[in-house]
Amino acid sequence: MKEWIVRLAAEIAPSGSEGRITSVLLDAVQDIADETHMDALGNAIATKRGEGPHVMIAAHMDEPGVMVIDIDDDGFLRVIPTGGLTASEAAFRQVAFTNGTVGLVCLEDGEKRPEQFEQLFVDIGAKHRQEAESRAFIGLGGVLGTGVADIGNGRLLGRALDNRVGCAIALHAFRELAQLGRYVSVVFTAQNAPGARAAQAAAFALEPDLAIVVDGVPASDVPGGKRTALKLGAGPAFKVMDAGTVAPLSVKQLIEDAADALGLTLQYEVWPGGRSDTGAIQLTREGILAAGISYPVHTAGAAEALVDLADVEATLRLLVAAVQTFGQ
Amino acid sequence: MENHQPLLEQLMTTHAGPGFEGAVRDVIVPHLRSYAQAVQVDVMGNVVAQVAGCGEGRRPRVLLAAHMDEIALVVARIEAGGFLRVVQTGGFDPRTLVGQEVVVHARGGDLLAVVGSKPPHLTAPEERGKAAPLSDLYLDLAMPESAVRERVRIGDRVTLSRDVYLLRNRRLAGKSLDNRASIAILLETLHRLQQLIHQADVYAVATVQEEVGLRGAQTVGFAVQPDVAIAIDVTFGAFPGQAADESFALDAGPAISFGPNLHRKVFQRLVDVAERHRIPYQIELSQTPVGADANAFQVAGPGLAAALVGIPIRYMHTSVETGSYADIEQCARLLAHYIAELDMAQVEDLSCY
Amino acid sequence: MLLKTLSEAFGPTGFEDDVRNVIRGELDGRVDEMNTDVLGNLIAVKGAKKPGPKVMLDAHMDEVGLMIVQICDGGAESGLLKFRALGGIDPRVLVSKPVLIGPDRIPGVIGAKPVHLQAPEERQKPIPMDKLYIDIGAKDAADAKAVVKPGDAAVFATRYAEFGDRAAKGKSFDDRVGCALLVEAMQTEVPYPLYGAFTVQEEIGLRGARAAAYQIQPDIAIALEGTVCFDVVGAPSHGQSTVFGKGPALTVQDAQTIADRRFAEFMWETAKRHGIPVQWRRVKGGSNDFGAIHRVGKGIVGGSISVPVRYIHAPTQVVSLDDVENAGRLLRAVLQEIAEGSFTL
Repeated sequence: MKEWIVRLAAEIAPSGSEGRITSVLLDAVQDIADETHMDALGNAIATKRGEGPHVMIAAHMDEPGVMVIDIDDDGFLRVIPTGGLTASEAAFRQVAFTNGTVGLVCLEDGEKRPEQFEQLFVDIGAKHRQEAESRAFIGLGGVLGTGVADIGNGRLLGRALDNRVGCAIALHAFRELAQLGRYVSVVFTAQNAPGARAAQAAAFALEPDLAIVVDGVPASDVPGGKRTALKLGAGPAFKVMDAGTVAPLSVKQLIEDAADALGLTLQYEVWPGGRSDTGAIQLTREGILAAGISYPVHTAGAAEALVDLADVEATLRLLVAAVQTFGQ
Repeated sequence: MENHQPLLEQLMTTHAGPGFEGAVRDVIVPHLRSYAQAVQVDVMGNVVAQVAGCGEGRRPRVLLAAHMDEIALVVARIEAGGFLRVVQTGGFDPRTLVGQEVVVHARGGDLLAVVGSKPPHLTAPEERGKAAPLSDLYLDLAMPESAVRERVRIGDRVTLSRDVYLLRNRRLAGKSLDNRASIAILLETLHRLQQLIHQADVYAVATVQEEVGLRGAQTVGFAVQPDVAIAIDVTFGAFPGQAADESFALDAGPAISFGPNLHRKVFQRLVDVAERHRIPYQIELSQTPVGADANAFQVAGPGLAAALVGIPIRYMHTSVETGSYADIEQCARLLAHYIAELDMAQVEDLSCY
Repeated sequence: MLLKTLSEAFGPTGFEDDVRNVIRGELDGRVDEMNTDVLGNLIAVKGAKKPGPKVMLDAHMDEVGLMIVQICDGGAESGLLKFRALGGIDPRVLVSKPVLIGPDRIPGVIGAKPVHLQAPEERQKPIPMDKLYIDIGAKDAADAKAVVKPGDAAVFATRYAEFGDRAAKGKSFDDRVGCALLVEAMQTEVPYPLYGAFTVQEEIGLRGARAAAYQIQPDIAIALEGTVCFDVVGAPSHGQSTVFGKGPALTVQDAQTIADRRFAEFMWETAKRHGIPVQWRRVKGGSNDFGAIHRVGKGIVGGSISVPVRYIHAPTQVVSLDDVENAGRLLRAVLQEIAEGSFTL
């Protein structure tokens, strides 16, 4: 699992530019899936037909990033955010673009504090427009932050762990359930960071009987932590509500039963600031039973995050158990 | 039964916030069954009751919807001392919550709590002039932290606690008149329809999760895809200090909404029906998509002809929402006559521009 | 001239009848069929039975406008009209503008207290919309009520004219310029099904397009739009969004869409191959109908072609006639290249 997380987190996949990680993920399920495809919005979808009700497992593969929107005569770039990244998070950091170009996000001379992206520019070391245009183009996506560090006590930190961890969990759960002969689909969703834009299209196409979404959620066992009541290392959380969903009680019962059967202590997520794919899927067509299972992270939503591998393992077990419990 | 006012009073003291509408659903389903041939509950928890029209061939299909959820709170953290921090599902004015009695719907049963805030003598002078945000308020269960932790879990839902007060002139006050008043309208309409001959197949729907973004309406609108979808929801009762076009008199009949996202022919027909049957009515103008289920209905699936009617209430989103049962009856008369007069020619005309 | 007729037509959001009638008149007999749906979208169809990708072109008919909400009675206000915005209007552009109200196009003006009588601190601040009135010359409330009722919509009374160097000024080029392009495009012959959706209620949340796309379920959709152009004095390169006269603009990202990169590049390359000037839209704010369309159903491939419009959402907007013409050329070239199979789904 850890190897998969590290491998997936190495991919650069700002929202809307998920192309490369899509291939990695679909390659990883190709051998066991009946069919795989990428849809119009960039979701990567694999299905294995089998017994029981059709369950869709979803995890977003995109991450917040930036996109080049202007190149000036002197070869400097301007960028806009994709997803919820703020100017203060982006300023003074290295940016790595999907085409291999790297740059430094700088604040215009004379500006005191980065508050808006209009104050920022990206220096890629180009001497003039022509050189810049050979290494960057309008629409080029990039991300901030560095690779994954293994802290050594079962915890990892680094860029894009939220939600490559979820992708790794979904990937493993899909393989395990497919091997057990269940009727299961996995969707690695695109464009979650700008507002859960793509998940609904996949749910519309698949029409599952149940969807389970895996995503990161901020733990508040940190100085000043007030956002949630969650603790890192205390196990997976059931999503009671976020900005896009309120869980039906029947779904809550399903996840609680699965946790009880495993002897897992469940945490409960109440996070009005978050917006996962869960709500978008829930409101598809006539309504779809949708559950969110979250693993706690420190600093979710920002470019980098810290996770606990014990939470990751427990989230995987809970997910598999919940699918097996469903429809019994 | 004379009318549904006793039921309304029961509904106003029943607790059901977004995502946990079960208690209200359980109360209304038997009443819907007394009028409908079939009553179903969908994945989201919407209740759909079908009342068949008469006549052969294609009949008009009309959906009448009232949301059954009320604004509610959710336990987000348990603090030292056993005090609860909450977040909201639906828009509260936190100023109205201070000192409010609430019910925490815990696994082992309902618990009473009082909403507290920092007392004045501990508040800095500059803070005293300001209202406390919801994040500064807490719920006091008056029990030790250990007992709280045993009984209450993160994610437990919280609703307002308030008896119903019967005021003068058939006006009643309490919590969740938004939108239990419209559930009463729904039932009063079905009651009146029994005395009328109607071609239209009626889908009487109690929707869920309106207060968090018209969510139940989105899915039930897609599922039923009626010819006409009418949302029934409350609007602003006249009160000093409000703009004239956002104020509707109590006892002056239902407000019929007009605006870009509502079907103008359905609007016009509702007005005509009111005029012909001498039903008092008021017109509400909306420049933006309305903040009611009709908004979601209009863009469900291929697009639906949407309308919005409802009674005015004062003090919306507080525990003393006040409205008039006379308005409820007039609104039901309007809807019953509209449905009775709906025919296929009108339905076909809805797409003619 | 069609752009003039469309620009001067009356079509505030939710009240698109006049625009719809102009378009219906133009396309009558030139397409296989035309239908209106329950929202008021006008959908023109050519070659519905043909094989190949189903292509939907979109332009919205509605414009930002005003709604009369109250006819004042009594006191100094008597006979003046209170109003609210239909769609996003900057209140700073309202004072001293003439408007036309309701089905009878009753003229009125938006006035304000003379600058002489304003306190120095008043002069610093824009006047909020709820402090403004429309004056139709009524003597009192009864006089006003004889011709105007609450709920009547109003538009700016701006005349279309050509001026400067290949430029035109008028109201609502957002999105009558798109409507004009779409009317023209529906008259081209293509070997696949072509749907032209003239939509309602874009200005209050891309509403008509969403329903239209669900009905059509196209394989490819292209929105035709007017978009922000701020290439004026003092604007740095990255604040301009688009440059006037430099051709139609393609989108990489706006408030509602991250572009389908493959389709955007296909349109860009098509422009280059056909020698048509084209530019990227260089701003994140704003959106168009494609923002709603691409998320419908299983997801829809496509993009948008935008004509730069200076002073968008203001009473007098300005476009380059060259940009309009080149947007039409680009659209025809894209439709042709789709026919030739240059874009694979």
